[in-house]
Amino acid sequence: MLFSSISFLYYFLPCVLTIYFITPTKYKNSILLLSSLLFYFYGEPIYILVMLGAIVSAYIHGILIQKYPKYNKIFLLSSISISLIALSLFKYSDFFIESINDILNTNMKPLNLVLPIGISFYTFQILSYVIDVYKGNVKAQKSLINLATYIALFPQLIAGPIVRYIDIEKELTKRKHSYKTFSEGISRFCIGISKKVLIANALGELCQYFLQTNNKSVIFYWIYGVAFSLQIYFDFSAYSDMAIGLGKIFGFHFLENFNYPYISKSITEFWRRWHISLGAWFKDYVYIPLGGNRVSKKKLVRNILIVWMLTGLWHGANWTFVLWGVLFGILLIIEKLFLKQLLEKIPKLFQHIYVLWVIIISFIIFNANSVKEAIVQIIGLFGGNGEPIINQETLYYLKNYFVILIIAGFGATPFLKNIMTKLKEKIKIKKIINVLQPVILASLLLLVTAYLVDSSYNPFLYFRF
Amino acid sequence: MSDKTRDIVITIMFVVLINLFFFANLLKKDTEISVTERRKLAQLPNLTLKTVLDGTFRNRFEQYTTDQMIKREEFRKLKSAAEIYLFGKKDHHAVYRYQDSIIKMEYPLNEKSVLYISKKINEIQKNYLKDMKCYYAIVPDKNYFTKEQEYLRLDYEKLQQIMAQNIEQVEYINIFDCLQLEDYYLTDIHWRQENLQKVVDKISNKMGFQNRLTIPYEKEEIIEFDGVYAKEIPFIMKKDKISILTNDILKNAKVYHYENGKETKIYDKQKIDSNDKYDIYLSGNTPLITITNPHAQTQKELLVFRDSFASSLIPLFTEAYSKITLVDIRYMRSKDIEKYIELKDQEVLFLYSTLVINQSNVLK
Repeated sequence: MLFSSISFLYYFLPCVLTIYFITPTKYKNSILLLSSLLFYFYGEPIYILVMLGAIVSAYIHGILIQKYPKYNKIFLLSSISISLIALSLFKYSDFFIESINDILNTNMKPLNLVLPIGISFYTFQILSYVIDVYKGNVKAQKSLINLATYIALFPQLIAGPIVRYIDIEKELTKRKHSYKTFSEGISRFCIGISKKVLIANALGELCQYFLQTNNKSVIFYWIYGVAFSLQIYFDFSAYSDMAIGLGKIFGFHFLENFNYPYISKSITEFWRRWHISLGAWFKDYVYIPLGGNRVSKKKLVRNILIVWMLTGLWHGANWTFVLWGVLFGILLIIEKLFLKQLLEKIPKLFQHIYVLWVIIISFIIFNANSVKEAIVQIIGLFGGNGEPIINQETLYYLKNYFVILIIAGFGATPFLKNIMTKLKEKIKIKKIINVLQPVILASLLLLVTAYLVDSSYNPFLYFRF
Repeated sequence: MSDKTRDIVITIMFVVLINLFFFANLLKKDTEISVTERRKLAQLPNLTLKTVLDGTFRNRFEQYTTDQMIKREEFRKLKSAAEIYLFGKKDHHAVYRYQDSIIKMEYPLNEKSVLYISKKINEIQKNYLKDMKCYYAIVPDKNYFTKEQEYLRLDYEKLQQIMAQNIEQVEYINIFDCLQLEDYYLTDIHWRQENLQKVVDKISNKMGFQNRLTIPYEKEEIIEFDGVYAKEIPFIMKKDKISILTNDILKNAKVYHYENGKETKIYDKQKIDSNDKYDIYLSGNTPLITITNPHAQTQKELLVFRDSFASSLIPLFTEAYSKITLVDIRYMRSKDIEKYIELKDQEVLFLYSTLVINQSNVLK
């Protein structure tokens, strides 16, 4: 079920909210768990068994790790192996088979398994839980219902953010509900769903026009690069907004997942602002155990490349994702070794241009179906495919989506947020904003509903991960 | 307003809004069709273990909740208004306003489709119409007249060129220069029968039956109507008027419908109450009909392969023939024409709009 759907907004959510808030506190987790399982079952009626198996495995392993310290390493390895085998089987088996076929000229048949929704996200949450139990950072959860609620919690189940057990351990058993958190959650959810439905979907349409046309032009390649970079940001950050908002409604405080990444002045900064929960996960569970920064230059390069190859692979089983990850890995190494110091010496404008240019290229690779397609599109940016600089079709779509591109461009910066913060410093204006806020949220919700009722393009890009 | 009051207002607003829609949707009687979209709306799907497990329940339920949302039409209007006024889009669902007219963009040129219809015409001509004199004409869609190139439109030159290069043994009658935007309805895709005299002259002249069209027509206004695109964009448009050209020949002509075995008049006034008022002409889309002219001064017959544009044009040829057969191979297989039509020495006209030519996979 998509958050941005009529079925979620006007069927699932009112039922769950009503039942949840009339249920006594001690049964609230059970209601959340049942709702989350129904939410998942609706989209994955068969693969829910895979998730339930993963939950039970995590529960048993957590307890065994804590109860038998002598053998905790074995139990940890067993838990990690089970999680990674399941993830590899569903997500990577065909990629490996096809790669082996290509390299060795063999003819092994792919398994053609369907990727269970959200498996990358809940697997990483489970890994963080068992590793933290092993490290003694958290205690093993004794209640299967509480652990299952953590793993299957519907706001963040299928597209993150990757919530670590340690971050919501206390709220699983004791959390506060108030008008303040509820209204903050609603505001965040409404902004998220508006970003997704009104902006990301429109940018997605523009990208589709580009991908489908045979009349491309150099300018159209650039428009596509910019539009897709904005689409993926608005799509994914919108989902995180909705997840964080829904979490707040139910009394959970998830960590932020995005912090205006497109205002970064280096790629290192970009990755501190983009998909923060994934970056932090790899840092804590892969990069630091490998030695992190405190190693020789050779090992540092190795560590960064391993982490970024895995980051690429996490996003999808395709060489384009490996290339995308390695590209960032190499750039981060170069920045760490010398480029960052050089960048700091040039004007800020050029630092931004450098980052945005890299991002556009990287997301073109990210969205391509093959490495070949990515290369053709990158060459197209520089007029290497023999296409005109501009044509009538490009001009038409540029005019048609100009307002959306401008709104998205501004929306990707903290410009509006900063203005609001300044305005709220004046008490009179703050009071006016307080009156306007419910009106604006209700208007946005109605406008989003109008778009959902008449929708044609509404996929979530991060559902495939 | 204090922060605390604001929080309470937001909470109440949201909870009331989503519950209001939830209960309103539950209580609302499901609607069967969408008049403005001209399609059936999804109905509540069957809930069985099989449909749940194979995902069909989910897919149909998603469509159902979207299709049956309360105040759906109002929401659709809100969206089209937001697209045009808020986000500055030039079109909504490829529909745009040009001068006083509403036009649906047809773009880009589908060369494979143009080739497909060309081959189809050749195939029909070679298999069934070998010794007959055959012609084809193309009806330009309204985009053709948006000269300013402000919107995307087909490459009409190329379309005609592809057809000319690939169609054999069938002569082309170019009617592009006989038409202008005013000859089409403001809110509908079709042309106005009362404005087709130039087209009639051109075709009849080329096919050699101009001298058999002698009796003038009287114009009769039937009804005001909103065409298929009237509700697509948020502008208040002038109403269209449907009119018919008639005379004694047309009044006495009989139309036989092979699909249901019924006989009607050329102008089917029962269709005044239908959603598509253009159906007044020859009762709308149907696979195979004949127009018989009991007062014909000739034994000549005409065979027309056509789409809906022919419904208003071909009646104006009635006087020149004893019988006109209209075949719509969107609704019947071209292989079957010999089963239903006695092929002898008819004159033949293939009349298709650029809209069908560019999406000719619908031809069987």
